[in-house]
Amino acid sequence: MEIIIYALLSVKEDSSKLNFKLKGMHGLLNAEIYALQEGQVSAIVSNISRTDLITDSTNALLFAGIIDSLSQDFSLLPMRFGSLMESSEAIIQMLERNYTAIQKNLNQVEDKFEYGLKVFCDSAKLKADLLEKTKLNTQTTEPSSREAKPSVYREWVNKKLEEHRLEELLVSHVDKVIATITEQLSDLNAVTKFKKMLTETTIIDALFLLKKDQNEELMAVITSLQNQFSGLNFVMTGPWPPYNFVEITIK
Amino acid sequence: MSENKILFSTGSLDGLSKEIGKLTNVDESKLKLTPDNADSGLAKLVLTLVELIRKLVEKQAMRRVDGGSLTDEEIERLGETLMKLEMKMEELKKHFNLTDRDLNINLGPLGDLM
Repeated sequence: MEIIIYALLSVKEDSSKLNFKLKGMHGLLNAEIYALQEGQVSAIVSNISRTDLITDSTNALLFAGIIDSLSQDFSLLPMRFGSLMESSEAIIQMLERNYTAIQKNLNQVEDKFEYGLKVFCDSAKLKADLLEKTKLNTQTTEPSSREAKPSVYREWVNKKLEEHRLEELLVSHVDKVIATITEQLSDLNAVTKFKKMLTETTIIDALFLLKKDQNEELMAVITSLQNQFSGLNFVMTGPWPPYNFVEITIK
Repeated sequence: MSENKILFSTGSLDGLSKEIGKLTNVDESKLKLTPDNADSGLAKLVLTLVELIRKLVEKQAMRRVDGGSLTDEEIERLGETLMKLEMKMEELKKHFNLTDRDLNINLGPLGDLM
């Protein structure tokens, strides 16, 4: 029998609150959930046999659901699905070895939720709109000698140059959107992470770490952004446990 | 998770689901090498790398053309070279029965390669 770890969480003076919470929860395979404590850090765990644990989406979602439920009441570091150790002693030793790093990460995510923002677009339409706005001159590579007709190679370069400029316009527009989002979130002291141009249609994939009580302010910002950039489709999800804001390598 | 995690969306849920699917469905762009398809699997891998390099060269060339630092003759020569490279790639893709989509590997959280 092994022990699966769902999350590491901070328990300062509310261990009775944690025990009450855990009593009302079920772990994977209906196992009991309990806490192993080291100082002010608790590992939330269940006893599970490695051979009984099937790696599938159902169990992965159950695992995520347990972490999500805990995150509503506690600041925590979510563990990766399938984080198994052989004994409670091994887990306590792991907490001891990594205590400083765990505390540091817990402080960073204390009383905060993660939110995800994806911005989608119809890239062909967006490029056409941007082109219309900037009125690009695509004929700048005409030969200076004014030949009667541009060669097939010159025409090919012109076509590629137009595509290149459109691409640059799109990237520049995405940078402008990101700058606007960052500026509007600055009042909320949000920690942000951005990825851009993931696919032809997903132009921004952003993550924010915000205080748990700032949900309404965030929604107001996103609504304002959607109005400002009406050609884009903003999709906000959350609140999530801080999956993408934990930087720790367990020793 | 029981509660709805979508806090804000102006598009349809079907459209959203399709877009998320594109980001998470990396299976179809994986290299699937087996003893039966070793030739085409290797061709896909090699052509993906060649196409990536060709597109990078093309992008850099367009930057230089856009910057106005090339003469008419240089632009002509550049156009001829890059156009022939593109045509040769089309031939190779056709030969190995590959499409542009086959050569655009999805790098998961990093997005599409090209």
